[in-house]
Amino acid sequence: MISAIALLDLAFHYGRGNFTLFCPSLDFSLGELSLITGSNGSGKTTLSKLMSGILKPQQGEVRMFGKTASSLRLGEIGSQVGYLFQDPSRQLFAGTMWKEMTFADDLLGKEQTSSAERASSLLERFDLLALKDRSIYYLSGGEKQRLALCTILMGGARFLILDEPTVGLDRQNRRILYGIIDDLLAEGRGLAVITHEDELIERYPEARRIKVENGQVLP
Amino acid sequence: MKKADPRVKLFWVLLCTTGVLVFSRPFWVLGIALFTLAGTLSFGVDLQSLLQRLRRFLPLLVVISLLHLLFVQTGEALVFIRGYQVITSGGIIRGVITLVRFFVILCSAAVMGNENIRRVLAALTKLRIPYLFSFMLMIALRFIPSFQSSFSDAIIALQLRGVDLNKLSFRRKIRMYGDLLLPVVADAVVKSRQLAIVMEARGFGAFDKRTSYLEVRMTAWDWIVTGALFTLGAAAFGYYFF
Repeated sequence: MISAIALLDLAFHYGRGNFTLFCPSLDFSLGELSLITGSNGSGKTTLSKLMSGILKPQQGEVRMFGKTASSLRLGEIGSQVGYLFQDPSRQLFAGTMWKEMTFADDLLGKEQTSSAERASSLLERFDLLALKDRSIYYLSGGEKQRLALCTILMGGARFLILDEPTVGLDRQNRRILYGIIDDLLAEGRGLAVITHEDELIERYPEARRIKVENGQVLP
Repeated sequence: MKKADPRVKLFWVLLCTTGVLVFSRPFWVLGIALFTLAGTLSFGVDLQSLLQRLRRFLPLLVVISLLHLLFVQTGEALVFIRGYQVITSGGIIRGVITLVRFFVILCSAAVMGNENIRRVLAALTKLRIPYLFSFMLMIALRFIPSFQSSFSDAIIALQLRGVDLNKLSFRRKIRMYGDLLLPVVADAVVKSRQLAIVMEARGFGAFDKRTSYLEVRMTAWDWIVTGALFTLGAAAFGYYFF
Protein backbone atom coordinates (compact mmCIF):
# COMPACT_ATOMS: atom_id res chain seq x y z
CA MET A 1 0.00 0.00 0.00
CA ILE A 2 1.14 3.53 -0.76
CA SER A 3 1.84 5.61 2.31
CA ALA A 4 -0.18 8.84 2.26
CA ILE A 5 0.48 10.41 5.65
CA ALA A 6 3.18 9.45 8.13
CA LEU A 7 3.24 10.90 11.63
CA LEU A 8 6.64 10.57 13.28
CA ASP A 9 6.60 10.88 17.09
CA LEU A 10 4.58 14.08 17.31
CA ALA A 11 4.02 16.41 20.20
CA PHE A 12 1.77 19.42 19.89
CA HIS A 13 0.46 21.99 22.32
CA TYR A 14 -1.58 25.12 21.79
CA GLY A 15 -0.10 28.49 22.74
CA ARG A 16 -2.39 28.83 25.73
CA GLY A 17 -3.57 26.09 28.07
CA ASN A 18 -2.05 22.87 29.30
CA PHE A 19 -3.32 20.48 26.64
CA THR A 20 -0.60 18.55 24.81
CA LEU A 21 -1.14 15.84 22.23
CA PHE A 22 1.42 13.06 21.94
CA CYS A 23 1.37 10.74 18.98
CA PRO A 24 3.75 7.84 18.34
CA SER A 25 4.79 7.01 14.78
CA LEU A 26 1.76 6.18 12.64
CA ASP A 27 1.30 5.57 8.96
CA PHE A 28 -1.89 6.11 6.93
CA SER A 29 -2.10 4.50 3.50
CA LEU A 30 -4.19 4.88 0.38
CA GLY A 31 -7.06 2.38 0.11
CA GLU A 32 -7.22 2.07 3.88
CA LEU A 33 -9.92 3.27 6.30
CA SER A 34 -8.83 4.41 9.75
CA LEU A 35 -11.34 5.22 12.46
CA ILE A 36 -10.12 7.69 15.06
CA THR A 37 -12.16 7.44 18.24
CA GLY A 38 -12.03 9.00 21.68
CA SER A 39 -14.04 11.06 24.11
CA ASN A 40 -14.76 14.78 23.75
CA GLY A 41 -11.67 16.93 24.27
CA SER A 42 -9.29 13.98 24.00
CA GLY A 43 -7.46 15.50 21.01
CA LYS A 44 -9.07 13.84 17.97
CA THR A 45 -9.62 17.09 16.06
CA THR A 46 -6.12 18.28 16.96
CA LEU A 47 -4.72 15.02 15.56
CA SER A 48 -6.73 15.44 12.36
CA LYS A 49 -5.53 19.04 11.95
CA LEU A 50 -1.94 17.87 12.35
CA MET A 51 -2.56 15.18 9.72
CA SER A 52 -3.93 17.77 7.29
CA GLY A 53 -1.15 20.31 7.84
CA ILE A 54 -3.50 22.92 9.35
CA LEU A 55 -1.48 22.69 12.58
CA LYS A 56 2.29 22.23 12.76
CA PRO A 57 3.75 20.02 15.49
CA GLN A 58 6.33 21.45 17.90
CA GLN A 59 8.11 18.08 17.97
CA GLY A 60 8.33 15.29 15.43
CA GLU A 61 7.46 15.36 11.77
CA VAL A 62 4.48 14.90 9.46
CA ARG A 63 5.20 13.47 6.02
CA MET A 64 2.69 13.60 3.16
CA PHE A 65 3.27 11.35 0.17
CA GLY A 66 6.95 11.24 1.09
CA LYS A 67 7.42 14.99 1.56
CA THR A 68 7.89 16.82 4.83
CA ALA A 69 4.63 18.67 5.53
CA SER A 70 6.42 21.67 7.04
CA SER A 71 8.08 22.30 3.67
CA LEU A 72 4.69 22.29 1.89
CA ARG A 73 2.23 25.14 1.69
CA LEU A 74 -1.39 24.38 2.61
CA GLY A 75 -2.40 24.88 -1.03
CA GLU A 76 0.08 22.19 -2.10
CA ILE A 77 -1.16 19.83 0.63
CA GLY A 78 -4.77 20.46 -0.48
CA SER A 79 -4.16 18.91 -3.87
CA GLN A 80 -3.34 15.60 -2.12
CA VAL A 81 -5.10 15.68 1.25
CA GLY A 82 -8.66 16.90 1.86
CA TYR A 83 -10.28 17.86 5.15
CA LEU A 84 -13.98 17.83 5.96
CA PHE A 85 -14.72 20.14 8.88
CA GLN A 86 -17.01 19.01 11.68
CA ASP A 87 -19.36 21.80 10.59
CA PRO A 88 -19.29 21.79 6.76
CA SER A 89 -20.89 25.27 6.67
CA ARG A 90 -17.48 26.63 7.66
CA GLN A 91 -15.96 25.49 4.38
CA LEU A 92 -18.69 26.69 2.03
CA PHE A 93 -18.63 30.31 0.96
CA ALA A 94 -19.76 30.81 -2.65
CA GLY A 95 -23.35 31.83 -3.47
CA THR A 96 -24.69 28.70 -5.14
CA MET A 97 -23.74 25.04 -5.20
CA TRP A 98 -22.38 25.37 -8.73
CA LYS A 99 -20.25 28.44 -7.89
CA GLU A 100 -18.97 26.58 -4.83
CA MET A 101 -17.82 23.70 -7.02
CA THR A 102 -16.04 25.86 -9.57
CA PHE A 103 -14.76 28.56 -7.18
CA ALA A 104 -11.23 27.17 -6.76
CA ASP A 105 -10.81 26.35 -10.46
CA ASP A 106 -12.02 29.83 -11.45
CA LEU A 107 -9.55 31.36 -9.06
CA LEU A 108 -6.71 29.24 -10.43
CA GLY A 109 -7.73 30.16 -13.99
CA LYS A 110 -8.26 26.52 -15.01
CA GLU A 111 -9.95 25.63 -18.25
CA GLN A 112 -13.71 26.13 -17.77
CA THR A 113 -15.05 23.22 -19.83
CA SER A 114 -13.06 20.58 -18.01
CA SER A 115 -13.86 22.19 -14.65
CA ALA A 116 -17.60 22.19 -15.47
CA GLU A 117 -17.45 18.55 -16.59
CA ARG A 118 -15.76 17.46 -13.38
CA ALA A 119 -18.18 19.50 -11.26
CA SER A 120 -21.23 18.01 -13.06
CA SER A 121 -19.91 14.50 -12.76
CA LEU A 122 -19.18 14.85 -9.03
CA LEU A 123 -22.53 16.51 -8.26
CA GLU A 124 -24.32 13.78 -10.15
CA ARG A 125 -22.43 11.09 -8.31
CA PHE A 126 -23.29 12.67 -4.95
CA ASP A 127 -26.95 13.09 -6.03
CA LEU A 128 -26.75 16.89 -5.96
CA LEU A 129 -26.90 17.85 -9.63
CA ALA A 130 -30.59 18.79 -9.50
CA LEU A 131 -29.75 21.34 -6.80
CA LYS A 132 -26.78 22.92 -8.56
CA ASP A 133 -28.32 26.41 -8.71
CA ARG A 134 -29.56 26.37 -5.13
CA SER A 135 -28.09 28.84 -2.61
CA ILE A 136 -25.82 27.16 -0.09
CA TYR A 137 -27.86 28.82 2.68
CA TYR A 138 -30.89 26.72 1.74
CA LEU A 139 -29.19 23.34 1.87
CA SER A 140 -29.84 20.71 4.53
CA GLY A 141 -27.00 19.49 6.78
CA GLY A 142 -26.55 16.31 4.72
CA GLU A 143 -26.50 18.25 1.43
CA LYS A 144 -23.94 20.71 2.79
CA GLN A 145 -21.75 17.84 3.88
CA ARG A 146 -21.91 16.10 0.50
CA LEU A 147 -21.22 19.40 -1.24
CA ALA A 148 -18.18 20.02 1.00
CA LEU A 149 -16.92 16.53 0.10
CA CYS A 150 -17.46 17.27 -3.61
CA THR A 151 -15.42 20.49 -3.35
CA ILE A 152 -12.57 18.57 -1.70
CA LEU A 153 -12.63 15.97 -4.47
CA MET A 154 -12.64 18.77 -7.06
CA GLY A 155 -9.25 19.74 -5.66
CA GLY A 156 -7.99 16.22 -6.43
CA ALA A 157 -7.40 14.96 -2.88
CA ARG A 158 -6.32 11.33 -2.68
CA PHE A 159 -6.51 11.09 1.10
CA LEU A 160 -9.50 12.45 3.01
CA ILE A 161 -9.86 13.31 6.66
CA LEU A 162 -13.46 13.50 7.84
CA ASP A 163 -14.07 15.15 11.23
CA GLU A 164 -17.18 13.58 12.82
CA PRO A 165 -19.08 13.31 9.51
CA THR A 166 -22.18 11.63 10.97
CA VAL A 167 -22.99 14.37 13.49
CA GLY A 168 -26.48 15.76 12.89
CA LEU A 169 -27.29 13.39 10.01
CA ASP A 170 -30.49 11.35 9.92
CA ARG A 171 -30.50 7.64 9.06
CA GLN A 172 -30.98 8.23 5.32
CA ASN A 173 -28.12 10.73 5.10
CA ARG A 174 -25.88 8.45 7.16
CA ARG A 175 -26.57 5.64 4.66
CA ILE A 176 -25.66 7.98 1.78
CA LEU A 177 -22.44 8.87 3.61
CA TYR A 178 -21.52 5.19 4.12
CA GLY A 179 -22.07 4.64 0.40
CA ILE A 180 -19.70 7.52 -0.37
CA ILE A 181 -17.06 6.12 2.01
CA ASP A 182 -17.35 2.69 0.30
CA ASP A 183 -16.98 4.30 -3.15
CA LEU A 184 -13.97 6.39 -2.14
CA LEU A 185 -12.24 3.31 -0.69
CA ALA A 186 -13.04 1.31 -3.79
CA GLU A 187 -11.38 4.06 -5.86
CA GLY A 188 -8.21 3.52 -3.84
CA ARG A 189 -8.40 6.73 -1.80
CA GLY A 190 -7.36 6.71 1.83
CA LEU A 191 -9.71 7.82 4.59
CA ALA A 192 -9.32 8.79 8.22
CA VAL A 193 -12.67 9.26 9.94
CA ILE A 194 -13.03 10.81 13.36
CA THR A 195 -16.09 9.43 15.04
CA HIS A 196 -17.74 8.21 18.19
CA GLU A 197 -20.74 6.88 16.31
CA ASP A 198 -21.16 3.18 17.18
CA GLU A 199 -23.11 2.55 13.98
CA LEU A 200 -20.20 3.69 11.82
CA ILE A 201 -17.65 1.75 13.90
CA GLU A 202 -19.75 -1.42 13.68
CA ARG A 203 -20.28 -1.00 9.94
CA TYR A 204 -16.54 -1.15 9.28
CA PRO A 205 -15.21 -3.97 11.50
CA GLU A 206 -12.14 -4.37 9.27
CA ALA A 207 -11.16 -0.71 9.61
CA ARG A 208 -8.09 0.21 11.55
CA ARG A 209 -8.90 1.69 14.98
CA ILE A 210 -6.91 4.48 16.55
CA LYS A 211 -7.86 5.67 20.00
CA VAL A 212 -7.11 9.06 21.47
CA GLU A 213 -7.24 9.37 25.26
CA ASN A 214 -6.36 12.50 27.23
CA GLY A 215 -4.00 13.77 24.56
CA GLN A 216 -2.31 10.41 23.94
CA VAL A 217 -2.78 8.67 20.59
CA LEU A 218 -3.00 4.90 21.05
CA PRO A 219 -2.54 3.08 17.72
CA MET B 1 -2.04 46.89 37.50
CA LYS B 2 -3.31 43.61 36.02
CA LYS B 3 -6.27 43.63 38.40
CA ALA B 4 -7.05 47.33 37.95
CA ASP B 5 -10.71 48.26 37.83
CA PRO B 6 -12.07 48.17 34.25
CA ARG B 7 -12.97 51.88 34.63
CA VAL B 8 -9.25 52.68 35.03
CA LYS B 9 -8.51 50.73 31.86
CA LEU B 10 -11.37 52.44 30.00
CA PHE B 11 -10.06 55.84 31.11
CA TRP B 12 -6.55 54.89 29.96
CA VAL B 13 -7.94 53.73 26.58
CA LEU B 14 -9.88 56.99 26.24
CA LEU B 15 -6.78 59.03 27.06
CA CYS B 16 -4.45 57.18 24.68
CA THR B 17 -6.85 56.99 21.73
CA THR B 18 -7.95 60.63 22.07
CA GLY B 19 -4.34 61.73 22.38
CA VAL B 20 -3.14 59.81 19.35
CA LEU B 21 -6.01 61.08 17.21
CA VAL B 22 -5.80 64.71 18.36
CA PHE B 23 -2.02 65.17 18.43
CA SER B 24 -0.37 65.45 15.05
CA ARG B 25 3.21 66.41 15.91
CA PRO B 26 5.41 63.34 15.25
CA PHE B 27 7.26 63.25 18.60
CA TRP B 28 4.04 63.63 20.55
CA VAL B 29 2.49 60.76 18.62
CA LEU B 30 5.55 58.58 19.23
CA GLY B 31 5.42 59.54 22.92
CA ILE B 32 1.78 58.40 23.09
CA ALA B 33 2.79 55.13 21.38
CA LEU B 34 5.45 54.43 24.06
CA PHE B 35 3.02 55.39 26.82
CA THR B 36 0.41 53.04 25.30
CA LEU B 37 2.89 50.17 25.02
CA ALA B 38 3.97 50.62 28.65
CA GLY B 39 0.31 50.69 29.75
CA THR B 40 -0.59 47.64 27.66
CA LEU B 41 2.17 45.57 29.25
CA SER B 42 1.39 46.89 32.75
CA PHE B 43 -2.27 45.93 32.35
CA GLY B 44 -1.14 42.32 31.87
CA VAL B 45 -1.19 41.85 28.09
CA ASP B 46 1.42 39.27 27.14
CA LEU B 47 4.05 40.78 24.81
CA GLN B 48 4.12 37.68 22.58
CA SER B 49 0.34 37.65 22.05
CA LEU B 50 0.44 41.41 21.40
CA LEU B 51 3.10 40.92 18.72
CA GLN B 52 1.08 38.10 17.15
CA ARG B 53 -1.99 40.35 17.08
CA LEU B 54 0.04 43.15 15.47
CA ARG B 55 1.58 40.78 12.94
CA ARG B 56 -1.88 39.75 11.74
CA PHE B 57 -2.73 43.35 10.94
CA LEU B 58 0.70 44.24 9.57
CA PRO B 59 -0.12 43.91 5.83
CA LEU B 60 -3.19 46.15 6.24
CA LEU B 61 -1.22 48.71 8.26
CA VAL B 62 1.59 48.77 5.74
CA VAL B 63 -0.84 49.29 2.83
CA ILE B 64 -2.64 52.15 4.62
CA SER B 65 0.67 53.78 5.57
CA LEU B 66 1.95 53.41 2.00
CA LEU B 67 -1.18 55.10 0.68
CA HIS B 68 -0.52 58.04 2.99
CA LEU B 69 3.13 58.03 2.00
CA LEU B 70 2.28 58.24 -1.71
CA PHE B 71 -0.76 60.49 -1.67
CA VAL B 72 0.16 63.09 0.94
CA GLN B 73 2.17 65.68 -0.97
CA THR B 74 3.18 68.20 1.67
CA GLY B 75 6.58 69.28 3.02
CA GLU B 76 9.90 68.79 1.31
CA ALA B 77 9.97 66.63 -1.85
CA LEU B 78 12.37 63.72 -1.30
CA VAL B 79 11.90 61.30 -4.22
CA PHE B 80 11.15 62.22 -7.83
CA ILE B 81 10.20 59.90 -10.69
CA ARG B 82 10.33 61.46 -14.18
CA GLY B 83 10.09 64.92 -12.70
CA TYR B 84 7.05 64.14 -10.50
CA GLN B 85 7.49 64.25 -6.75
CA VAL B 86 6.47 60.86 -5.35
CA ILE B 87 7.56 60.88 -1.74
CA THR B 88 7.58 63.94 0.46
CA SER B 89 8.62 64.50 4.08
CA GLY B 90 4.94 65.24 4.88
CA GLY B 91 3.92 61.91 3.35
CA ILE B 92 6.47 60.00 5.45
CA ILE B 93 5.31 61.73 8.63
CA ARG B 94 1.64 61.05 7.88
CA GLY B 95 2.44 57.42 7.02
CA VAL B 96 4.24 56.90 10.34
CA ILE B 97 1.53 58.73 12.31
CA THR B 98 -1.16 56.53 10.75
CA LEU B 99 0.84 53.42 11.63
CA VAL B 100 1.18 54.59 15.24
CA ARG B 101 -2.54 55.42 15.46
CA PHE B 102 -3.46 51.89 14.47
CA PHE B 103 -0.87 50.56 16.91
CA VAL B 104 -2.51 52.47 19.78
CA ILE B 105 -5.98 51.30 18.78
CA LEU B 106 -4.81 47.66 18.59
CA CYS B 107 -3.08 47.93 22.00
CA SER B 108 -6.26 49.39 23.52
CA ALA B 109 -8.29 46.56 22.01
CA ALA B 110 -5.81 44.04 23.45
CA VAL B 111 -6.16 45.50 26.96
CA MET B 112 -9.96 45.50 26.88
CA GLY B 113 -10.05 42.10 25.17
CA ASN B 114 -8.02 40.71 28.07
CA GLU B 115 -10.56 41.90 30.62
CA ASN B 116 -13.43 39.77 31.92
CA ILE B 117 -16.61 40.73 30.03
CA ARG B 118 -18.76 40.68 33.17
CA ARG B 119 -16.39 43.03 35.02
CA VAL B 120 -16.49 45.46 32.08
CA LEU B 121 -20.29 45.31 32.01
CA ALA B 122 -20.43 45.94 35.76
CA ALA B 123 -18.02 48.87 35.36
CA LEU B 124 -20.07 50.39 32.53
CA THR B 125 -23.24 50.02 34.61
CA LYS B 126 -21.48 51.91 37.45
CA LEU B 127 -20.71 54.63 34.91
CA ARG B 128 -24.51 54.85 34.43
CA ILE B 129 -24.41 53.54 30.87
CA PRO B 130 -27.66 51.60 30.25
CA TYR B 131 -27.04 47.85 30.48
CA LEU B 132 -28.65 47.28 27.07
CA PHE B 133 -26.07 49.50 25.34
CA SER B 134 -23.05 48.18 27.23
CA PHE B 135 -24.16 44.59 26.62
CA MET B 136 -24.51 45.25 22.89
CA LEU B 137 -21.07 46.86 22.83
CA MET B 138 -19.48 43.87 24.54
CA ILE B 139 -21.23 41.41 22.25
CA ALA B 140 -19.99 43.38 19.23
CA LEU B 141 -16.42 43.17 20.57
CA ARG B 142 -16.78 39.44 21.20
CA PHE B 143 -17.89 38.99 17.58
CA ILE B 144 -14.47 40.08 16.29
CA PRO B 145 -12.65 36.80 17.19
CA SER B 146 -15.59 34.79 15.82
CA PHE B 147 -15.44 36.82 12.61
CA GLN B 148 -11.66 36.25 12.37
CA SER B 149 -12.09 32.52 12.96
CA SER B 150 -14.77 32.20 10.22
CA PHE B 151 -12.56 34.06 7.77
CA SER B 152 -9.51 32.00 8.68
CA ASP B 153 -11.53 28.74 8.30
CA ALA B 154 -12.68 29.86 4.84
CA ILE B 155 -9.07 30.58 3.80
CA ILE B 156 -7.89 27.19 5.16
CA ALA B 157 -10.75 25.36 3.42
CA LEU B 158 -9.95 27.07 0.15
CA GLN B 159 -6.27 26.13 0.39
CA LEU B 160 -7.25 22.56 1.20
CA ARG B 161 -9.10 22.52 -2.14
CA GLY B 162 -5.70 22.86 -3.74
CA VAL B 163 -5.55 26.66 -4.07
CA ASP B 164 -1.99 27.80 -3.42
CA LEU B 165 -2.33 31.42 -2.33
CA ASN B 166 1.32 32.14 -3.20
CA LYS B 167 0.63 31.30 -6.83
CA LEU B 168 -2.34 33.67 -7.15
CA SER B 169 -1.81 37.02 -8.80
CA PHE B 170 -2.50 40.15 -6.75
CA ARG B 171 -5.71 40.77 -8.75
CA ARG B 172 -7.01 37.24 -8.12
CA LYS B 173 -6.10 37.48 -4.43
CA ILE B 174 -8.12 40.70 -4.08
CA ARG B 175 -11.04 39.01 -5.85
CA MET B 176 -10.74 35.99 -3.55
CA TYR B 177 -10.75 38.10 -0.35
CA GLY B 178 -13.76 40.03 -1.68
CA ASP B 179 -15.63 36.80 -2.46
CA LEU B 180 -14.84 35.32 0.95
CA LEU B 181 -15.73 38.45 2.90
CA LEU B 182 -19.40 38.57 1.91
CA PRO B 183 -20.40 35.10 3.19
CA VAL B 184 -18.39 35.66 6.37
CA VAL B 185 -20.29 38.90 7.02
CA ALA B 186 -23.57 37.12 6.17
CA ASP B 187 -22.63 34.40 8.67
CA ALA B 188 -22.01 37.05 11.36
CA VAL B 189 -25.45 38.56 10.66
CA VAL B 190 -27.09 35.13 10.94
CA LYS B 191 -25.27 34.52 14.24
CA SER B 192 -26.33 37.89 15.61
CA ARG B 193 -29.97 37.13 14.75
CA GLN B 194 -29.72 33.77 16.49
CA LEU B 195 -28.16 35.44 19.51
CA ALA B 196 -31.00 37.98 19.67
CA ILE B 197 -33.56 35.14 19.66
CA VAL B 198 -31.64 33.24 22.35
CA MET B 199 -31.36 36.36 24.53
CA GLU B 200 -35.08 37.07 24.23
CA ALA B 201 -35.86 33.45 25.02
CA ARG B 202 -33.83 33.87 28.21
CA GLY B 203 -35.90 36.89 29.15
CA PHE B 204 -33.29 39.55 28.37
CA GLY B 205 -34.71 43.04 28.96
CA ALA B 206 -37.83 41.72 30.72
CA PHE B 207 -37.21 44.06 33.67
CA ASP B 208 -36.08 47.68 33.73
CA LYS B 209 -33.24 46.98 36.13
CA ARG B 210 -30.83 44.09 36.17
CA THR B 211 -29.23 42.82 39.34
CA SER B 212 -25.78 41.28 39.51
CA TYR B 213 -23.79 39.35 42.10
CA LEU B 214 -20.60 40.81 40.67
CA GLU B 215 -19.75 44.28 41.91
CA VAL B 216 -16.65 46.17 40.87
CA ARG B 217 -15.10 48.57 43.39
CA MET B 218 -12.40 51.14 42.87
CA THR B 219 -9.52 50.54 45.27
CA ALA B 220 -7.25 53.29 46.62
CA TRP B 221 -4.64 52.26 44.06
CA ASP B 222 -7.22 52.57 41.24
CA TRP B 223 -8.05 56.12 42.37
CA ILE B 224 -4.33 57.01 42.52
CA VAL B 225 -3.75 55.67 38.97
CA THR B 226 -6.86 57.45 37.67
CA GLY B 227 -5.74 60.69 39.33
CA ALA B 228 -2.24 60.34 37.86
CA LEU B 229 -3.67 59.62 34.38
CA PHE B 230 -6.02 62.58 34.66
CA THR B 231 -3.22 64.94 35.72
CA LEU B 232 -0.90 63.66 33.01
CA GLY B 233 -3.62 63.93 30.36
CA ALA B 234 -4.64 67.45 31.42
CA ALA B 235 -0.99 68.57 31.46
CA ALA B 236 -0.29 67.05 28.02
CA PHE B 237 -3.41 68.50 26.37
CA GLY B 238 -2.83 71.86 28.10
CA TYR B 239 0.81 72.04 26.99
CA TYR B 240 -0.02 70.95 23.44
CA PHE B 241 -2.84 73.40 22.82
CA PHE B 242 -2.05 76.41 24.95
